Amino acid sequence: MVPLARRTLVYEWRRFLPSLLAVAFSGLLLLVQAALVFGIFDSAAVYITRSGGDLWVGHPGTQSIELGRPIPNDTEIRLRMDPDVARVEPFMWIDGDWRGPADRGGLSVFVSGIDTRADAMVFADVLPPALRASLDEPDGVIVDRADLAKLGLGIGGRAVINGHRVRIVGVASGLRALGGVNIVASLETARRLDNDHGGTEVAYYVVRLRDGADAESVRARLQPTSATKRYEVWTRDAFARRAVTYWMFETGAGLGVVLLALVVFFVGAIITSQTLMGAVAGSIREYATLHALGVAFGDLRRVVLQQAAWVGAAGLAVGGVLTAIVVVLAKHRDVPVQLDAATVVACAALVMGIALVSGLAAVRALRHADPAMLLR
Amino acid sequence: MAALVAESLQKSFVTGSVRTDVLRGLSIEIEAGELTLVSGPSGCGKSTLLAILSGLLKPDAGRAIALGQDLARLAPTELERFRLHNTGFVFQGFNLFPALDALEQVALPLGYLGLDDATARSRARRALEEVGLESRLALRPAELSGGEKQRVAIARALAKEPKLLFADEPTSALDAANGQVVIDTLHRIARTHGATVLCVSHDPRLVAHADRVLAMEDGRILSDRRVEPAAAAG
Repeated sequence: MVPLARRTLVYEWRRFLPSLLAVAFSGLLLLVQAALVFGIFDSAAVYITRSGGDLWVGHPGTQSIELGRPIPNDTEIRLRMDPDVARVEPFMWIDGDWRGPADRGGLSVFVSGIDTRADAMVFADVLPPALRASLDEPDGVIVDRADLAKLGLGIGGRAVINGHRVRIVGVASGLRALGGVNIVASLETARRLDNDHGGTEVAYYVVRLRDGADAESVRARLQPTSATKRYEVWTRDAFARRAVTYWMFETGAGLGVVLLALVVFFVGAIITSQTLMGAVAGSIREYATLHALGVAFGDLRRVVLQQAAWVGAAGLAVGGVLTAIVVVLAKHRDVPVQLDAATVVACAALVMGIALVSGLAAVRALRHADPAMLLR
Repeated sequence: MAALVAESLQKSFVTGSVRTDVLRGLSIEIEAGELTLVSGPSGCGKSTLLAILSGLLKPDAGRAIALGQDLARLAPTELERFRLHNTGFVFQGFNLFPALDALEQVALPLGYLGLDDATARSRARRALEEVGLESRLALRPAELSGGEKQRVAIARALAKEPKLLFADEPTSALDAANGQVVIDTLHRIARTHGATVLCVSHDPRLVAHADRVLAMEDGRILSDRRVEPAAAAG
């Protein structure tokens, strides 16, 4: 069979270029949007995913890490009593009021109080041992490099949190979070900054299990069963997912993503279908001749749909390359972006959907392929 | 029975509030193995007659019978199949796909007939040889002259080995020499393939090359005459 669809696409590529670009940019928009949204929402879980440990223990019902509330001190003892628990590490999470340089006003910050030992679990991926040890300096804090400008200070800069003086002793990368600036301090410093609870209680305990222990069964064992439980236990992955899900669905942001995806879909489909229709209309006399020669409408339709599919595939390839460039640039500039295989596949399916819906719309232009018109 | 039979065909078109009768009870029988030319001024209804006899248009009244089939009784898909297996068309505009070379233009409809690629290509090559284009197989329409394009279109119709070949003003876009080649080719197809060739044209040069000439005016046949074999041999 003569590959009419492909031959026409290659020979008349200028005619199909607008639809290819429409598909490519639809793909770029969908993928970059997804990458940004997942990147931003993943940063809601960044404290969990970039820390070690197997289980997280926090206030019952906590949806996302920044919503942590103090849990009773005796929780630690209960956790340590389990034979599969190898280590329990407290993690303080307190709200802070940051006052930096006078011309900057105040800022709401989160203060993380962490264990400063070299093998500590919290922020294990973010803070190398030397940097972590620098927190042992009294009132020393570490901030994310990307937040320095917002704070208006550099390393060595001094500020006040909750009325107590602190000094920036180092910067790290990967501490940037949703909803506020994250300040890391030692547990001792954080206790001094905690005016509300006097530093007696912490918001989380991070638990490492013995090698070979099954996290899920230990979690089930440690989970309080009474109706008035005072803490809750999650596996690390479940707690991270919980945070992402919270931001995605409880804040309306997820709906925004879906809406924007729909807009991209329709705009892409309208532009693509218009150009495909134009291409069909440009060859209408040839299609009509084929129809006169007895080639069924269904076969002509297939030619148009094949063209749409090729346009979709080529557009997807171009959009994919553009997306890769954007993602690399974004990562280079510390913009949180995150793309996993499932997202890429979903976006690709949506883009091919744009092309095929456009093809179906363009098929309508074929109804003008009435051979009788060739005889007038 | 004749290959094509028109029985009291009537057809009118309505444009706005104006109704134009194009065919007024036209009856005619057209035989296989010869080139029948329908001539007449533009608007006389000759193209409409061709459209109805080839199954592209339905008459308002009367019957169009092709190869013994009453075309009005065929469902749209049956009509497509009938055209696929039995009819070839040559139009005034050549209607070739710009992206395909001559061989592909001709092989394209053969693929839809269910022929495999090798068979379709060899049959297409033979048809192009028959119209004298064996040296032009790999050229696209943009690289062909008008006469060559029309011969590709004829080869495209011919390669299907149709029993019925319809041509609508096939020479009107061509100069005298190319028009001559085209009409000779159509004539030869009627003779050597035993096909029924119905050609519609207002080009008086073609009259000498037809076996039979039907003169039409105002939706009716004015005259029906056979051309002397000596003159038609041309």
